Amino acid sequence: MLATQPAKPRRSLRSRIRKARPLAFTLLCVIAVAMLLPIVATFLYSFFPKSEIAAYMKQRGSYDAARWMDVLLSPVQVSLRQYYAILIEEPLYLKLFVNSAFYAAAILVGQLLVLPLTAYALSRFRFFGRDALFFVVLALMLLPFQVTMAPSVMTLRALNLMNTQWAVILPMVFSPFYLFLLRQFMLGIPGEIIEAGQMDGAGSLRCFLHVMMPVCRPILCAAAALSFADSWNMVEQPLVYLTDSSMQPLSVMFNQISTDAAEVAFAGAALYLAPMLLIYLYFQDDILLGVQLSELK
Amino acid sequence: MFRKKTVIFYLLPGLLGLLAFYLVPFAWGIWFSLTDGSINNRFVGFDNYLRVWQNEVFQLGLKNTIELSLLCAPPIFALSFWLAGLLRKRVAGDTFFRNALLMPYLMPSSAMLIIWLILFDYGGVVNRLVVALGFERVFWLEGSALRAPIVLLYIWKNLGFSVVIFTAALQSVPESLYEYAALEGAGWLKREWFITLPQILPTAFLVLVLAVVNAFKIFREVYFIGGSYPDESIYTLQHYMNNKFARLDYQDVTTAAYSFAVIVIVLFLLMYRTKSVRQGNEA
Repeated sequence: MLATQPAKPRRSLRSRIRKARPLAFTLLCVIAVAMLLPIVATFLYSFFPKSEIAAYMKQRGSYDAARWMDVLLSPVQVSLRQYYAILIEEPLYLKLFVNSAFYAAAILVGQLLVLPLTAYALSRFRFFGRDALFFVVLALMLLPFQVTMAPSVMTLRALNLMNTQWAVILPMVFSPFYLFLLRQFMLGIPGEIIEAGQMDGAGSLRCFLHVMMPVCRPILCAAAALSFADSWNMVEQPLVYLTDSSMQPLSVMFNQISTDAAEVAFAGAALYLAPMLLIYLYFQDDILLGVQLSELK
Repeated sequence: MFRKKTVIFYLLPGLLGLLAFYLVPFAWGIWFSLTDGSINNRFVGFDNYLRVWQNEVFQLGLKNTIELSLLCAPPIFALSFWLAGLLRKRVAGDTFFRNALLMPYLMPSSAMLIIWLILFDYGGVVNRLVVALGFERVFWLEGSALRAPIVLLYIWKNLGFSVVIFTAALQSVPESLYEYAALEGAGWLKREWFITLPQILPTAFLVLVLAVVNAFKIFREVYFIGGSYPDESIYTLQHYMNNKFARLDYQDVTTAAYSFAVIVIVLFLLMYRTKSVRQGNEA
């Protein structure tokens, strides 16, 4: 009965939407350009030769109201010298870059070993205190790093981990946010899939390895990409846990390097952004899914 | 659902880690903030709290942290709501737009800083825009004007996250509700007010709380632009804690931290009471 009636109003609703589209499209284009502009500009400027960037950076900080900085759009000549400079001539940048990659990779491996198991327990088992534990995970997820900073340092000192790479890696391995994300996804998986596994005589471990893990592939990718980005960008933890500057990741030291050598700063920034850009482009669908899941639904 | 003793095998590694690196420090910190830090480590009750709260630098840091997060959260909330509305019906290229908005979320703030400093230079592009709109040029990188580039860098980075969450919530409102409403003769405003709003309210609240709580983390952007001792207008609570920390004054650090944690926990409990979280918890 209903199927025949709403034809007319539905059409009018649709046409209203179609009318609104060009405006929405234009607005979105403007905003997308604004969002991407800083990234594109950083990459563009990274191909400017050192001398041009050095001259450009000298125009900064002028108090003269009659003068403007140029808007550079294309280099006189494209150069890769500055990449050569930061990668080969001056090994500090490369060393910090490797540090960052090491931390991000180590954290990722640790998370992969621990978090899916814990999320599985939280989502597929019934045990005493489960909901309380989940509540704690949620609360920890929202607590800013600053709150537990000092006691964390004392704990790490008691464990003899301060000023070692472990101090940065271990707390991140148990990051509540990714535990939460995996648990949310596992909760949404229909019970029948697991039950089918059980019917075939699989125990909880086999169900986990052969049923749960393959089904969780998209969220694992999303979590991995987001976690890698998190570690790649982390500032607070290494700043507090590491006193030795040779162990610092690029995220902490980059600022200092780029003020010391302004003419290669853009090449450094572009190189620093590049892994994130590649990860984003490769995992974009998974990342969108992961962020949507953090809606707590 | 499994009901087996083997759960301990799955739970133990994660539980130990959470205990060692999150829960024990949290509890230890509370104890620390209630003692005097001498050799005997005497219990002093709330003396530390009273002292820290009266400290002017702490007050400055707390005030700035709250102000900065109030500068960040409402624009993120409003902008993401508006953008999600635009993205809600399948616009051509909507995946591209969502990706363009979310991409900055993964970009390191420190790498974006140089381009930011150039954009906001006295002779930079932002001031060209300001002049084009008929205003006076601003020294963005000095004094309290520094807040503008910092807040914008933060919004630039975090906007996409809220947009994606909002869009998903809007798209999950069943289309049939709108069709029934249209049948009943409800206009645009009525449909938005009586259907969209109640349906997305829990999400809206979540986005708001996340925006406020995450904005407390703005220290990172401030640190890159202003260093450890920045201008008074952007001296955040974490600067206070880091600097106290460097002077090994752990009592003050933890006390300041928990004074601040109370705010976060209240926000969290408010959010936890909303429907969407409890649904997930009961499932």
